[in-house]
Amino acid sequence: MLRARFQASARPLLRAPRAQRILKPFPTAVLQTRLSSAHAEETFEQFTDRYVAFFGGVQDIFELQRGLNNAFAYDLVPAPKVIEAALRAARRVNDFSTAVRIFEGIRQKVENNGQYEEYLKELKPVRDELGISTKEELWA
Amino acid sequence: MQALRRVGATTLRTSSTTLSTSQTLIASFSTSSSARSPAPSSSSSASHAAAVSNSSSGAGQSIIPLSNIQAQWDSMTEQEQSLVHRQLETLQAKDWRSLSLDEKRAAYYVSFGPHGARVPVTKAGEPSKVALAVVALLAVSSALWAVARSSANPPPKTLTKEWEQAATEKAREAKINPITGLSSEGYKGKGFVQSK
Repeated sequence: MLRARFQASARPLLRAPRAQRILKPFPTAVLQTRLSSAHAEETFEQFTDRYVAFFGGVQDIFELQRGLNNAFAYDLVPAPKVIEAALRAARRVNDFSTAVRIFEGIRQKVENNGQYEEYLKELKPVRDELGISTKEELWA
Repeated sequence: MQALRRVGATTLRTSSTTLSTSQTLIASFSTSSSARSPAPSSSSSASHAAAVSNSSSGAGQSIIPLSNIQAQWDSMTEQEQSLVHRQLETLQAKDWRSLSLDEKRAAYYVSFGPHGARVPVTKAGEPSKVALAVVALLAVSSALWAVARSSANPPPKTLTKEWEQAATEKAREAKINPITGLSSEGYKGKGFVQSK
């Protein structure tokens, strides 16, 4: 009788009916999203804010050029606000040639010449204020 | 997808379509290594540059005229180039609206002009040269083919249509392959005829 009791406590699973022994299915509804990509995607506005803040804090040419390389590596064209912040950063670190280069970068990134013209128009006040020429103007 | 994420009324948002354009841009904002390095640390070049600038009338004085920097740049010594760098640094610290076109050009050329690592891989006129050479080589090879063809033996006499028809007749007379093939009942194939 004692032996039977020990057996019962030591191996309860074996004594349980088969249906109970099978593990409950994992709650799949909870796992509809992949755990590996749990980070929220950055929206265009967040991207813009991030880079405006970054270029606002740039204090040397290396940081400016590093930030530009990063901002222009995305599958989007940075908003005019970002460009303006970058141009002002270029003015702060006294780097005229990088300011010209930014417009060259925009020209590469946009889909057609009309969009480039729109950028030029939008940024005209800043360009006039800082005295930035585009490459086309330099070698007109 | 970036395109799907962009909502709202901000204008001037475009996505670049190809990855390659963004790839080529990745390195493109960095000025060439020599362009932005501080004054050379080796004592000889620094002293040389200092001597050159001392010999001039003033520190900010332009010793090397910036108007023609594009033509001279490749033939300049390192000392002269670093001197130009310093000239341009003081220039760019000024109000950019006051810079002349030549000075702006010089500043851009020294930083991002086609020298050093930025020399384009294909020179001007090279693509048309390559295309011409390809056409010329094709012409030569087809001429060689024509010559070889003209001096070759004629095709064998057994490959005429008449010969093949005669061979088929002979095969029928000899009752070749009588069950499923050429001499069988209701045969509709071409026999040995293969020339057109």
